[in-house]
Amino acid sequence: MNRLSRLSSAIALAAMMATTAVPAFTAPAQAATLSGGFDVGPGGFQGNFNPLAATGGFTWLSVYFEPLVTYDEKLQKVTGVLASSYEVSPDQLTYTFKLTDAKWHDGKPFTAKDAKFTMELAKNAKTGSVLAARLSAVASVEAKDDKTLVIKLSGPSASLMDTLTKVMMLPEHALSQIAPDQIAKNSWWSTSPIGTGPFKFTKYVTDQYVELAANTDYRGGKPALERIINRYFANPAAAIAALRAGEIQFTYVDSNDLTAFKNNKDFRIIEGDSFVVNYLGFNHDSPIWKDIKVRQAVMYAINRDAIIQSLYGGAAKPANCAYVADQIVPKGIETYAYNPEKAKQLLKEAGWDQINGNKPITLLTYYTTPLAANVMAAVQAMLAQVGINVTPRAVDTPTYNSIVLNPTPDTAQFQMVYAGLQNGPDPGSINVGLNEKQIPPAGPNVARVRMPQLTAALDAALGETDAAKRDLRYQDVCKVMNSQLPWGPLWVANRYGIASSKLKNFVWTPAPGGGPYQAYPEKWAIAE
Amino acid sequence: MLSYSLRRLLIGVGMLLALSVLIFVLLRLTPGDPIDAYIDPNVPMSPSDLAELRVTLGLDQPLPLQYLAWLQQASMGNLGYSIQRPDQPVLGLVLSRVGPTVLLMGTAIAISIIAGIATGMISAVRRNSVADFSFSVLAVTGISSPPFLSALVGLYLFSVYFHWLPSGGMLTPGREFSVGDLLHHLILPAMLLAIAQTALIMRYMRASMLEVLNQDYVRTARSKGVYEFWVITKHALRNALLPVITLIGSTIGLAIGGAIFIESVFNWPGMGLLMVNAVENRDYPVIMGSTLVIGACVIAVNLLTDLAYAVVDPRIKVG
Repeated sequence: MNRLSRLSSAIALAAMMATTAVPAFTAPAQAATLSGGFDVGPGGFQGNFNPLAATGGFTWLSVYFEPLVTYDEKLQKVTGVLASSYEVSPDQLTYTFKLTDAKWHDGKPFTAKDAKFTMELAKNAKTGSVLAARLSAVASVEAKDDKTLVIKLSGPSASLMDTLTKVMMLPEHALSQIAPDQIAKNSWWSTSPIGTGPFKFTKYVTDQYVELAANTDYRGGKPALERIINRYFANPAAAIAALRAGEIQFTYVDSNDLTAFKNNKDFRIIEGDSFVVNYLGFNHDSPIWKDIKVRQAVMYAINRDAIIQSLYGGAAKPANCAYVADQIVPKGIETYAYNPEKAKQLLKEAGWDQINGNKPITLLTYYTTPLAANVMAAVQAMLAQVGINVTPRAVDTPTYNSIVLNPTPDTAQFQMVYAGLQNGPDPGSINVGLNEKQIPPAGPNVARVRMPQLTAALDAALGETDAAKRDLRYQDVCKVMNSQLPWGPLWVANRYGIASSKLKNFVWTPAPGGGPYQAYPEKWAIAE
Repeated sequence: MLSYSLRRLLIGVGMLLALSVLIFVLLRLTPGDPIDAYIDPNVPMSPSDLAELRVTLGLDQPLPLQYLAWLQQASMGNLGYSIQRPDQPVLGLVLSRVGPTVLLMGTAIAISIIAGIATGMISAVRRNSVADFSFSVLAVTGISSPPFLSALVGLYLFSVYFHWLPSGGMLTPGREFSVGDLLHHLILPAMLLAIAQTALIMRYMRASMLEVLNQDYVRTARSKGVYEFWVITKHALRNALLPVITLIGSTIGLAIGGAIFIESVFNWPGMGLLMVNAVENRDYPVIMGSTLVIGACVIAVNLLTDLAYAVVDPRIKVG
C-alpha cells in the first residue's frame, strides 16, 4: 500500500514538473513583433482574406493591401494612397487618377492595368463582390497609360469616393488566370496573397493567427516593425485576457470593459467615434406606430441622458436625427428632452388604449452584449412607466436578418427594433435604412419607412455633387427625421481600443467595418 | 469477434446517415442562412447584392434536392467548401482540426483516467482517512463546478493573474514549433477539461473498489498471505475497473461537449471552435462535415469500449 501511495505521489510530482519545467513564454515572441487582436469587435472580420467579400476587417486588410484612396485617421477627408492625385470633371462624370510608383510584394510594378482589373472584379457580382451594387454607377474604367486611370460614371455619384476607399488593389498578373466565379474559392487569398502595403503576408494558421513580415522595399520607407501578428479570438473578453496576460499589445474592447484599464500606466485607451447611430426602429407595417404622437411619446419617455451617463459612462452623444456631426445637424431642432408627463399626455391624445393598450410589443435586436442587455432593460422600464409595454428579444445576427429582411415579414415578431446603422464618414450611408426604395428585398430599410418627404430629401442629398451644398441637403434630411420620427433616434456611442504603452506611433480608430483609414503601419514601433 | 465488429460497423454507417438527415433538417429549421450571417446590420448593404450569391450556393433549391446533392458529393469524399471561408474545402478544415481536438481530449482523458483511478484507489484503500476525505471533497467540488466557471477561473488565475500559462491558442504565434511550447499551451485547457471527468471517475472507482475489497476472493487472497500491494493491484483493481471502463466510454461524448466549450474559451483550434464559429455563421457545409466526423468518432469509441470489456474480463464474449 505504501508503494501505491508512493506511486501516485510520483505521478503527481511528474505532472507538476511537466508543467513547471516549461519556461513561461508570456513575453512577445520576438522584439519588433507586434501582436494584436486587429479583427476583434464590430469592425473586424476574422477568417476573411478576400477584400472583395469584406463587409469589415479593413483595419487589418489595409496593412498589406492598399486602395487608391482612403480616409484620413479622423475619417473626415478622403486622401490618396496608390493614387497620388485625382481630378473630377466639371460634369462629375469622369474621375482621373494619377497613380503613384508602387511595387507589388513580388517586385512587379503596380500599374493602371492592375487598377482597371481590380475595378472590373469589384463591379462583377459573380466574383462574390459585395461592392458590385455600390459600383453600379461606374460605366467604364480605362487605363490611359501605366500611371493614369480614368473612371467614367453613368450619372453623378456622391458616394463613389467612399466606395473606392474599400476597393483594395489586386495584382492582375496573379489573378487574371482564375475565372471570376471561381476567384472567391481560390486558396490564393489565405496562402500567398500579394499587395502593395508596408507588410507582406507570410502565413495563416487556421483560426489562430495571421502573420505579416515587413516589406523592406515599401515606397514609404522600411517599416519599423519586423512582423505584425493578428491573433484571432472567439470574443472581446478572450482578447482582453490575452492583453492583460501580455501576449498581445492591442485589441478592441467593449466600453463596459474599460474600467480595468483606466489609470493603468501600462495601457493607453484609444477613444473614437463609432459612426453608428443607435435607434429604436418603429416597424411602419405595424398600425400601432401610425400616429406621430405615439412615436413622439416614445422619444419623450426615454431618459437618454441617464442611459448615456449610467450605462455608457458618458461616452455617447444623444442623437435627434441620424446625425450628431455639427455641420449636419441644423440648429433649433426638437431635442426630445426626457418628459414622461408629456409622453403620457401624447399617448392619451393619440388614444393609445384603443391602439394597443397594454399588449406586449416585441423589441427585437441583434445586439447581444451585456451593455445592450442593460440598455434594453432600461428602455423597457422607461416605456412601461408611460404605458408602453415592450418585451426585449435579443437574437444572433443571422436570425435577426432572416426576420427583418424577409420580404413578407411577420410584423408581430418585430414591431420595434433596437439597432444601429452607419451614419458616416459618408452621411449618405443611412439612405439604405430610410429610403422608401430600399424596403426589403430591394434594400435594408427594415423599419419599412415610407415617408415621401424623407425619401425626397435623401434623394436630393445623394444627388448633390456640390460638396459645399451637400451638408445643407443632409441638414434637410435631419430636419425631416427629427420632425417625422421614422425612427426613434437614440445616440452615437464612442468605441474603444486598448494599446500597450510600449506601442509607439500606433494609429487606430474604431471605424465602421474597420475603415480603411490612413494608419501608417510602416511607422508603428514597439519599445523594448 | 470479426463478424460482430462488422455488424456494428454497418449499424454505425446507418446511424451516421440518420444523423446527417437530422442535422440537415435541424439546420434548415434554424432561423437565418449563411447569407443572413454575412450581412452586418450596422453597415449599409443591399440584400439584392447577395441574392446572386444565394443562387450560386444552391440555397434556393428545394431541401431534399440540397440534401441529395450534399450526400452524393459526401459519399465521394467531397464535403464541399466552407461558405464563410469559400477558399477552404470542408474536408481539409475538419481534418486539420481533428489533431488538436484529439490531443486536447486525449490528454484530458489520460489525466482524468490516471488521476481518477489513482485517487479513487487511495480513497477506497484508506477509507475515512484524511486523504479519502480530501479527495472526496475535491471530487464533489469538481463534479459540481460547471465548465464555464472552472475554465474562466482557471484562465483568470493562471494566465491573467499569475502570467504562468498562455491565455489561449495552441502555439506561440511567430515562434518555431517546439514540443515545450505546445505543452505549455496544452496543460491548462487539458487540466480544466479533465476536472469533471477525474472527479466522476474517482467517485466510481472508490465505490467499485470498496465493493470489491469486501469480496470473499480478496479475503481469501489476503489469508493466503499475498502481499497487500498484489491483492490490490492484481485481484481487486482488475475487477473494480469494469464499471469504470463503462463510465469512461460513455462519457467520451460528454467530454466532446466540454471540449467545445474549453476550445472556445482558450481559442484551441479544434473541432469545437470550428463548430461554434460555423454555427454562428450558419456555415452549413462545415457543420455537416464536422458533425459527421464527430459522430463517426463517438460510434467508433463506443465500439472500442465494448471490445475492451472482452479484453479486461474474459467472462464477457462478444460475437
